[in-house]
Amino acid sequence: MITGPHDVIKGYVEVASLPTIFARINEAVNNPRSSMQDIARIISEDAGLTARLLMVVNSAFFSFPQRIDSITQAIAIVGTQQLRDLALATSVMKVFTGIPDDLVDMERFWKHSIGVGIAARAMAAVRRETNLERFFVSGILHDIGRLVMYVKIPDLSRAALLRARENRELLHIAEEQSIGFDHAAVGRALMQAWRLPVHQEEIVAFHHRPALATRFPVETAIVHVADIIAHSMGLGSSGEQFVPALHPDAWERLGFSISILAPTMEQIDRQFADAVKLIL
Amino acid sequence: MGKLNLDQLRPGMVLAADILDRNGRVLLKAGLELTERHLTLLRQWGVPEADVQGVDREEINARECMELDQELLAHAEASYRSLFRHCDLEHPFNQELLRLCVIRAVQRTMKGMQS
Repeated sequence: MITGPHDVIKGYVEVASLPTIFARINEAVNNPRSSMQDIARIISEDAGLTARLLMVVNSAFFSFPQRIDSITQAIAIVGTQQLRDLALATSVMKVFTGIPDDLVDMERFWKHSIGVGIAARAMAAVRRETNLERFFVSGILHDIGRLVMYVKIPDLSRAALLRARENRELLHIAEEQSIGFDHAAVGRALMQAWRLPVHQEEIVAFHHRPALATRFPVETAIVHVADIIAHSMGLGSSGEQFVPALHPDAWERLGFSISILAPTMEQIDRQFADAVKLIL
Repeated sequence: MGKLNLDQLRPGMVLAADILDRNGRVLLKAGLELTERHLTLLRQWGVPEADVQGVDREEINARECMELDQELLAHAEASYRSLFRHCDLEHPFNQELLRLCVIRAVQRTMKGMQS
């Protein structure tokens, strides 16, 4: 019996568990006593992850003046938290397999997530926020609750998709109406189960209701607006067929003029194909 | 006077208001006639817009649309309005996003037809 988002997660965390190496990286990053060498050693144990991270930090996405040849060097230049975030971004997609393809096209799903990540990162850069990669990761994670729903409650999810199509409603509203909770609530439960940083949990939970984000209102507002921009530009799709509604307060909070939209969209168009090639 | 996006500014336009940086410091003064060099500087400074004399954003936007294929424009406008059906088009953010998406779609189609 499914009565809430936590029931959807139950029994799923084992199936969709983050690679243990990520938990160890996360722990080391959060532990003030661990050194850069400790973190580098953990990452280097996974050859695949090491190769992916070096490819990402050497990509046009970062455009560092010098080549980065080792994880130790990457940590020194990119920082431990940002490297942790990039490790998460490149690992999380490998967790979700066996998702019914009549419910979602996985390639389009991740393209949408990458689009939101790039848009969020671009807006955070305009605001001169620190640690830009956490915004990219938020984009990757924001709709992830949907994937859990497609595996755990495919029939209910299908009903929500049909309802949204028939009534021409926003999907998150159809989910809530027909299931009783939406993908944001399920995503939040997964973030908790994965013990990811609290800001990611809040962003995932409230990206459609930014007014409820009390601890990280700016971060949540950025992802809320990024989601709208990525949808309007038609970068992939997470199942939502319309551009989600803007919460004017979230836009106000960012303090942007609408003039930033044109250059931001150009930047997203420039980076999107590269990021997809790099990560997907 | 009207605020224009950076890419809509042209040499010869005259600033109607000071351009300030994030800390309120004056970068360029009102009354200045923009040159190509100023535009490069504005781009480097990351300034997204400027207030200029004698032009109007709506008018420039409309002129930009005139340069596009009108049939494609009407078509794109209709399909994007449907995608934006849950968005409040009274809000300037949604208006600008819709406008840019429509132009982007038309330009992409026109480019595709040329190549």
